[in-house]
Amino acid sequence: MLTFGIILGWAVLSVLFALAVLPKAHATAPQAMPFLGGGTPDTHAWQRFHFRPYTMSLLFVAFEMEMMFMYPWAVVFVEEGIKALAEMGMFLTILSVGILYGWREGIFRWE
Amino acid sequence: MMSLSRLMSRAPAPVFPAIGPGRQADVERLLSRSGLRAAATPRDAAILLVAGDIPGTAAAPLARVHDQIPRPRVTVSWGHDEPDAIAARIAEAWREVCAGGEGEGDRLPDEPPNKWKGVGPNGQGGKGMMGGVPYGRPMAMTGPDIRDGLQLDRYTARFGPFAPMLPPGLVLEVTLQGDVICDVTVETQPFAQPADADAPDLCAARMLRLLGLAGPADRATAGKKPRGVWMRGAVPGGLGSVDGAGDARDRLSRWLSGTPVTASVPDIPALLKGAEWSEAMLILASLPPSAILRACQTPEAA
Repeated sequence: MLTFGIILGWAVLSVLFALAVLPKAHATAPQAMPFLGGGTPDTHAWQRFHFRPYTMSLLFVAFEMEMMFMYPWAVVFVEEGIKALAEMGMFLTILSVGILYGWREGIFRWE
Repeated sequence: MMSLSRLMSRAPAPVFPAIGPGRQADVERLLSRSGLRAAATPRDAAILLVAGDIPGTAAAPLARVHDQIPRPRVTVSWGHDEPDAIAARIAEAWREVCAGGEGEGDRLPDEPPNKWKGVGPNGQGGKGMMGGVPYGRPMAMTGPDIRDGLQLDRYTARFGPFAPMLPPGLVLEVTLQGDVICDVTVETQPFAQPADADAPDLCAARMLRLLGLAGPADRATAGKKPRGVWMRGAVPGGLGSVDGAGDARDRLSRWLSGTPVTASVPDIPALLKGAEWSEAMLILASLPPSAILRACQTPEAA
């Protein structure tokens, strides 16, 4: 009952907070325009652009996941010893080949 | 509530300047005073400072800038008064705004530039991703990226004449892909400024302000030492090289040491094409206003 009360209380409080910080002023059409120092745009500002660090961030995510695999691996390593080390070594080698391939393809170049 | 507004009025007054012909140096020196703050955009401002006689061609852009300042807002016109008198009038206007004054109404109608229409019943839809006219403007169409040919949206807009990162009066029609400038044309040349706009301290302050060093910029304008650590290092080397005047970093060094720079710029669009937006603005700020005006006046070679 107490848990239910706390959940309900928080829900009501957060809705009240959201209502309190709700923007009150309505943006007029000139205010909804991007600021161009008095100039005008031809098109809507929503556009697809070249996200330059995309390949670098993909590589970062890949190695982040590899680090996550190493935590459970550390437990297995205590039981299995050298066999687990060899397996992880193979896994890291394959990933490193990926870096070398990416390097050759120029993903570390900022353009 | 009363004490809150009094506390607010003690903060520096956020002023967005719309600078007319011949008033650039006056406005920049005025806004480096301690009770005033140059707002980077109208959304950040409460007071519009209109300095000098704005030509009729810039009246519509001025109205757009005026309406982009959130309410309550106040316009202060600066004719030929002394800077002290204008500073006092701005301070008074700021107190009025903080006290909850009504401010000025809109100059433009509250209507989108076009009707929001598409093929769907709610104005949605069209060809591919480019459907409809959201908020009265069509979606951007794709074109090849100038660096690697990837098909990406091209965004064309006119910047100026009151863009704080451009010389006052200059209108550039820029086509951007992300932050890369694909195409630039000079629509309107900058307003003529007297020679004091080329003063080394003002030129250095303009560059420092673009680099986010507002404190050193204000100190430089006030004639003190800027007191920044290795400021020229913030400008990438080799940016905006001009024959006889070095690159942007060299020009900043010369201005910081108090030496005026005279540069003859061949062609503004050629200088900016292919640069990222931040680089392009730094290149423009690293040229004396008179050089930019001269480059815009000479008829462009076809």
